Amino acid sequence: MRLTEILRLVWLNLSQNKGKVLLTSIGIVAGSATIMLVLAIGKGGQMEVAQQFKNLSVGAIDITYEGRTVSGDDTVGMGGPGGGMLSGMGGGNGRMAGRAAGGPGGAPPGFGTSSGKREEAVSLSEADLEEILAYVPELEDGTISFSVTADVEGGNLEESTAYTIAGVKENYALVGNLNLEIGDFITEEEEENKEKVCILGAKVAREIFGSSYNAYNNTVYIDSRPYVVAGVAEDMGAVASGISPDEAIFIPYATGIKYLTGNQANPTITVLAEDVERVDAVTGYLEEVLAERWPDTKFTLSDAGTKMEAASGTNQTLQLLLAAMAVIVFLIGGIGIMNVLFVSVKERTNEIGILKAIGCRRRDILTEFLLEAVFISLTGAVMGVGLGFAITPLIERFSVRVELSLSGAVCSLGFGVLTGSLFGFYPALRASALLPIRALNHE
Amino acid sequence: MEEELIRIVNLNKGYLLGEEKVPVLKQICFSIRRGEYVAVLGPSGSGKTTLMNILGCMDVMDEGEYYLDGLPIHDTPPGKLTRVRNRKIGFVFQNYQLIPTYNVLQNIIMPLVIRGMGHKEAEERCMDIIKLLGIGGRLQHRPAELSGGQRQRVSIARALAGGPAMLLADEPTGALDQSSGKEVLKLFSRLHEQGNTIVMITHDLNVAAAAQRMVTITDGMLTETPS
Repeated sequence: MRLTEILRLVWLNLSQNKGKVLLTSIGIVAGSATIMLVLAIGKGGQMEVAQQFKNLSVGAIDITYEGRTVSGDDTVGMGGPGGGMLSGMGGGNGRMAGRAAGGPGGAPPGFGTSSGKREEAVSLSEADLEEILAYVPELEDGTISFSVTADVEGGNLEESTAYTIAGVKENYALVGNLNLEIGDFITEEEEENKEKVCILGAKVAREIFGSSYNAYNNTVYIDSRPYVVAGVAEDMGAVASGISPDEAIFIPYATGIKYLTGNQANPTITVLAEDVERVDAVTGYLEEVLAERWPDTKFTLSDAGTKMEAASGTNQTLQLLLAAMAVIVFLIGGIGIMNVLFVSVKERTNEIGILKAIGCRRRDILTEFLLEAVFISLTGAVMGVGLGFAITPLIERFSVRVELSLSGAVCSLGFGVLTGSLFGFYPALRASALLPIRALNHE
Repeated sequence: MEEELIRIVNLNKGYLLGEEKVPVLKQICFSIRRGEYVAVLGPSGSGKTTLMNILGCMDVMDEGEYYLDGLPIHDTPPGKLTRVRNRKIGFVFQNYQLIPTYNVLQNIIMPLVIRGMGHKEAEERCMDIIKLLGIGGRLQHRPAELSGGQRQRVSIARALAGGPAMLLADEPTGALDQSSGKEVLKLFSRLHEQGNTIVMITHDLNVAAAAQRMVTITDGMLTETPS
């Protein structure tokens, strides 16, 4: 029989059983939508990770204070690791309740006991940075910074608003991969003179002044003191950790210590390894130098590469989990198709008998039933892709990044049709193997 | 003398009942000439349906020889019998055996479509048969929308569509009322007059009487019955 004639028969049978086709394909609809969304969410996750890390120097290592044991089992816990350190701020307006380093969740610096353990304040300083730069080999550069939350006024702000203020050195832009859209970054002279200048993050500039150009050379009031906007950073997007540059205001480190934190700042030291491949070794050297300088003290050393690997790993695990779910849905969908086709073969046994009696070949019957399975699953897969597109906005409302793609849609269609074909093959084979006499006499 | 279309020699066929083989057809020998109209008469359980299945190449014999239009069917592998059925035999069944989801035209042209012919060409080829059977006005109807007599006409049209060597009719009037049954028998007579070979299986002597020649099958044995 010609393929066109088989297709005509397939169309005839399917078009007369539209309801059954729709019901049969539900499993494939769900499977295709799932696989499409799995791919889209996976790709979205990858892009999210890439976006978050694109502005980080791969060789950068952050050193933050964690806690110190002074004697015996005593553990030092100045303000806890969340208190105002550069890493972990994540930066949003008013996200941090505390106004100074070590504020929330911790005992006052220098004191505080818990379960008989004596705690002592440890605060990284410029002296630590100097020692690290002096004794740790294979370092390109290093900087020290801190962040706090402070009230800001000026520009279009109708009332004072809390923003993340980062006290940074003049080389922060290099170490932190920060580029300016307009103006110049903090200079050594401004740092030395503790000048009240600032660099606005792109989002902050838009919020306070409407645009970067309006912000430049304008004045903002941080903790009621006027700061001249010396520059505006480029739009950097989200970051995996540390200060979110778009949502921060950068001021000279010394200025920040003088006017905002006093001696309560709890800074982060960031160093840049000369060779990205040697980050692990440099981390080891850092640990040695820190252990010598601060015995029994726990510091957290985190590098961008490890963070990226961890984030990618999490993303891959999520993707695998979702893919496993899609496979299960497809299996269920495929079994559904197989069941319905078995019923269909049973219902149409007499028809198969007639076709065989009048000379229809086994392979033509096999092709017809297989094509029916393919078309049912194709219908389901197309509807699944449509469903995937339709529910994407809903998923995005839960802050999940979904990156739909043509390749994802094609893959989803392919999986749908493949499932239908695989599960449709056996019923089709059974149909084609029926003996004409038995099929004709089937009631 | 007209040439032989069917020749059967020492046909034996039985079915297994548990471990015992029950003979159904015993030492059948007979032949049918091209253009003959033969009725195979027999009561229920006599073996006439088994004989029809073998004649129609839908079942195989245990022993013996069967030649159809010169082809040794007994030596033909079952897979190739499909082609023989399509080219050489036109089936007319008691309960019509039309495909319910196809319309009349689609049912009629099926043997040609199966053979590899395109839809349009097959339709053109069948127009004369459709006119002959007077079903031109019903081509777009489904079988369920037709009377029994009309359905049997469609069944006969389908049987003739492929230009077979013989029409093999199994109780063609069995499901029809008397008047429709007579109509079908008249049609068979007309087709016979046009040169078609017809083999009709029936249990009804009155129906069998319409044929040119009658053979009777009783307890698996075939005997020639003078008409």
